[in-house]
Amino acid sequence: MSIAEKMAANQKQVAISEFFEKNKHFLGFDTLNRALITAVKEAVDNALDACEEARILPDIVVKITKLDNKKDILQLEVEDNGPGIPRASIEKVFGQLLFGSRFHAIRQSRGQQGIGITGVVMYSQLTTGDPTHVESKIAKEATAVSVDIGLDTRKNKAIKSNQDRVDWGEKLHGLKVKTTMKAKYQRGRQSVWQYLRMTSIVNPHADILFIDPDGEKHHWQRVTERLPGRVEAIKPHPNGIELGQLQRLCGESSESRMTTFLRRTFSGVSGRAAKELCEVAELEEKLKPKSLSAQQIRSLLEAFQGERTLKGKPVKLLNPPTSCLSPIEELLIKKGLSKTIDSKFVATMTRAPSVSQGNPFQVEVGLIFGDGMAADKPVEILRFANRVPLMYQQGGCLLTKAIESVDWRQYGLDQAGGRGVPKGPAAILVHLASTNVQFTSEAKEALSDNETVMEEARKAMLEMGRGLRKHLEKQKKMGKTKEKFELINDIIPAIAEKSASLLELPVPDLAASITKIMSAVIAETTTIWNKETKQTDVHIILYNYTSRARSYTMLVNWPERQGARMVGNELGGRKEAMGVWAWKLETLQPGSQTIITYSLDGLERGDWNETDVFYRGSQEVIGATKMDEKLLEEIRRQEEALNAPPPNENSELEGEGNSEEEPEYELPQTDSTASKSDTKQTTLFGGDY
Amino acid sequence: MAERKSVEETKTALHDVVREMYDRIVKGEPPTMTLPVRTKNNIGFDPKLGVYKYGKKQTIRDATSLGSAKQLLRALHVIEFIESMIDDGKSSTLREMYYISEGWGLGKFQSQNESNNLAEDLEIVTRCLREDFKLRPEEDGARMIGNLTLRERNRRGEWMRINARDDVGDSGYGVPYNVESEKIEFLEHDINFIMAIETGGMFDRLVENGFDEDFNCALLHLKGQPARSTRRIMKRMSEEWDLPVVVFLDGDPWSFRIFASIAYGAIKTAHISEYLATPTSTYLGITADDILAYDLPSDDLSKKDIEALNAELSDPRFADGWWQEQINMMLEVGKKAEQQSLAKYGLDFVTETYLPEKLQQLGL
Repeated sequence: MSIAEKMAANQKQVAISEFFEKNKHFLGFDTLNRALITAVKEAVDNALDACEEARILPDIVVKITKLDNKKDILQLEVEDNGPGIPRASIEKVFGQLLFGSRFHAIRQSRGQQGIGITGVVMYSQLTTGDPTHVESKIAKEATAVSVDIGLDTRKNKAIKSNQDRVDWGEKLHGLKVKTTMKAKYQRGRQSVWQYLRMTSIVNPHADILFIDPDGEKHHWQRVTERLPGRVEAIKPHPNGIELGQLQRLCGESSESRMTTFLRRTFSGVSGRAAKELCEVAELEEKLKPKSLSAQQIRSLLEAFQGERTLKGKPVKLLNPPTSCLSPIEELLIKKGLSKTIDSKFVATMTRAPSVSQGNPFQVEVGLIFGDGMAADKPVEILRFANRVPLMYQQGGCLLTKAIESVDWRQYGLDQAGGRGVPKGPAAILVHLASTNVQFTSEAKEALSDNETVMEEARKAMLEMGRGLRKHLEKQKKMGKTKEKFELINDIIPAIAEKSASLLELPVPDLAASITKIMSAVIAETTTIWNKETKQTDVHIILYNYTSRARSYTMLVNWPERQGARMVGNELGGRKEAMGVWAWKLETLQPGSQTIITYSLDGLERGDWNETDVFYRGSQEVIGATKMDEKLLEEIRRQEEALNAPPPNENSELEGEGNSEEEPEYELPQTDSTASKSDTKQTTLFGGDY
Repeated sequence: MAERKSVEETKTALHDVVREMYDRIVKGEPPTMTLPVRTKNNIGFDPKLGVYKYGKKQTIRDATSLGSAKQLLRALHVIEFIESMIDDGKSSTLREMYYISEGWGLGKFQSQNESNNLAEDLEIVTRCLREDFKLRPEEDGARMIGNLTLRERNRRGEWMRINARDDVGDSGYGVPYNVESEKIEFLEHDINFIMAIETGGMFDRLVENGFDEDFNCALLHLKGQPARSTRRIMKRMSEEWDLPVVVFLDGDPWSFRIFASIAYGAIKTAHISEYLATPTSTYLGITADDILAYDLPSDDLSKKDIEALNAELSDPRFADGWWQEQINMMLEVGKKAEQQSLAKYGLDFVTETYLPEKLQQLGL
């Protein structure tokens, strides 16, 4: 090797490790505590992504051991039950920076957010000099590959050593990574523990076991068998495209007509829109995309961005499909929150997908409220982007700002001046699912400002806040009803007995005075999970403590949409609307009671904790709400809309002549699968009435 | 008028309370207990007795809310407890009753204040005294020094003759909780008036300076808001020996209230004002004008002080011109002063200058 070559090689070697060294703050390795969190994050995100793609329910074990206390040397082991990595790919995944196809696909993925596991291998090597040990087993091979991976920083390539095969016994597939590094294990808000806890909240389908350096085990169990929905890659949307990208797409296209190119390369472009785009960009429809001049491409971009208009209006484009998003969905957020935080009330809200600059996104929020959390401290904020916890830079994050912009006082939380992070025994979760998450900096810990996303997040929070207020009001009402029952069931009988015994007289009959005291119709409702039958039992007792006979129709909401079945409903009744059941009761005589009882099958524990009870009738029922018939009609209308056949979007393509339509890239959001709409915008019982 | 009742009378009065509840249930109504409103809005001057008594406003405590229903149940438990004490010849302190209520299930008291109030409620409704109920307070009575002789029946039932100057130490004669004639009889005295003093520090100062001998008076330490027995013994001495009472307190809104309870009757115990209050007593100081006239070290009135003064302005017991003037003056000056602020001018100033001057103004 010549001196010049050696120098060049040295330079390169310096360059890569220097690049790492210089940029470790945004690669996530700037402090000893954060380096450990980042390493766990890279390994766990990979495991979750791999399992999701292979449709496997993840079992993940994370173990941290202290090797050298004085020098802060730790060993990190992460093991999963994913598909494993074929032997040939191991060195690419672990030994090459920025490896992986997911950087180019337009869909929601966790992996967008880090340098990748190679960064961990690099950090480990730089701080300890040791290679990273990897074991991988794929289903079709009998044994697992065992190999140590180091990095040739000169060539950006892996150095393999100690390659061997090991027997894993029963285990069919999976990946084990063991690495040593200079790092510190800390507890608190910014810790591996918190990262895994948050991860488990938004990945309720994962089972995560964490063994900390003291040997203490933290286990977050799987609460659902349902894997996140498969996400599809989508074509870019004209609104989100940049000049360079457009140049590349044009240059690489083999299409022979502009209109076909526009329809096939982009999402949201109908046949009519393709023609109109050509018209406003002053391009001939039959031009070959490849042949476009720089000026023509610029014109097309202007048409995309609405700077060129047709009769004063930008060309109308459809929204990009949202099948590329994987929201957690309300029920699962509920479960995820309930499993890590022990409390009674959870409200969740998944907004319908929306679009900002051609990028589909979706906001989800969750709120858990009640015992077990400090009442005088700011609420805990749990931020996520594409199911990845954000743990740093809370104050500068769009999601935090959205929380701060809500006046939480009206919903029952303390908040000085109606702005800022509210105080109270609560935790608020915000999740942004997007194909293109915009961060404030390369550190990727805070989302940058975006009006559309902010507005969606705010709306979601307002809706959730109303749910909280309703819950608190209901609790207060229930407290009062409970007092009344204590009064008539315990205190009045005791007064009667004691006064009779002091006077040596017989105990008087109480019925009449109890009616006088209550002078109300009262509904007492319990919704309880039955461990034995694995059903949710609902009991409603309606008492008539008035001096007149009363008749009512009682109604309840129930999770029909979520697939529950109503069983053991002996009083029968009938369906009034989707998720609303009604019973017309026989006349209730003064001093008498009726019991409605049924169970909900097909739900899991914690899915359904509270039943809303409504009534139709003239006398107020304490413990129930008067049925708002307008609301009921609205529910019926929405139900009809959901069941109606999708409008034929292709109709406007008539006359296009070219019939090679590929419908999957033009599905407008109203046409997305019916099951998806189930969890969207459930205003049925969430709002005011 | 409340007066000592026989065992039978007490029991009958208590049974009437029970009967009211029972009869209402039989009639199909919520049980109730009727009692006078116990606020300053329902006290009025009784010219015949010379004290403030409850007026005609009644409140009906009925069992339509959980809170008042529990009160009724507690009242029944207390009545049962009192009856059993009467039958067994026992007595208990209010605090003991509070702890005994632990065994009353739903009828147990949440705080001692509740049990004290309920005992008073029953006194009012039955027109009995808590002594009839065999209930006594633990509040200790006052201390007294002066050349007067009384006899007290001790726990062995023997009468002891005590001179409150010669037979006692520096802490004086301790006033027992029961000062009725079966327990205490007044024999003879050589004093011209009784001086009631708010704080222990001032009481000790006057004792050390020999004020009682120099001015032929009895000194009585009130210990803040005086206990029933303290007010009762003042009342008896003043009445039976025809002696004036002068009251020497701090100069603040709370002292005004102490004086009102001594002279006119306390709002809380207006049902037995004629038994506890000494209408002939006089407020000696510290007055609002003393603060100015003697240039006493003072503190600013707190928000609570101001609220209390304003409440006093509409209290019928302070309706007379002198009190209105004093209260308004204190509000204007915005200051209050302690008795012991007189020490600014030396330890003897109070006995050699301040008190003689003030007593002279009162003609004593």
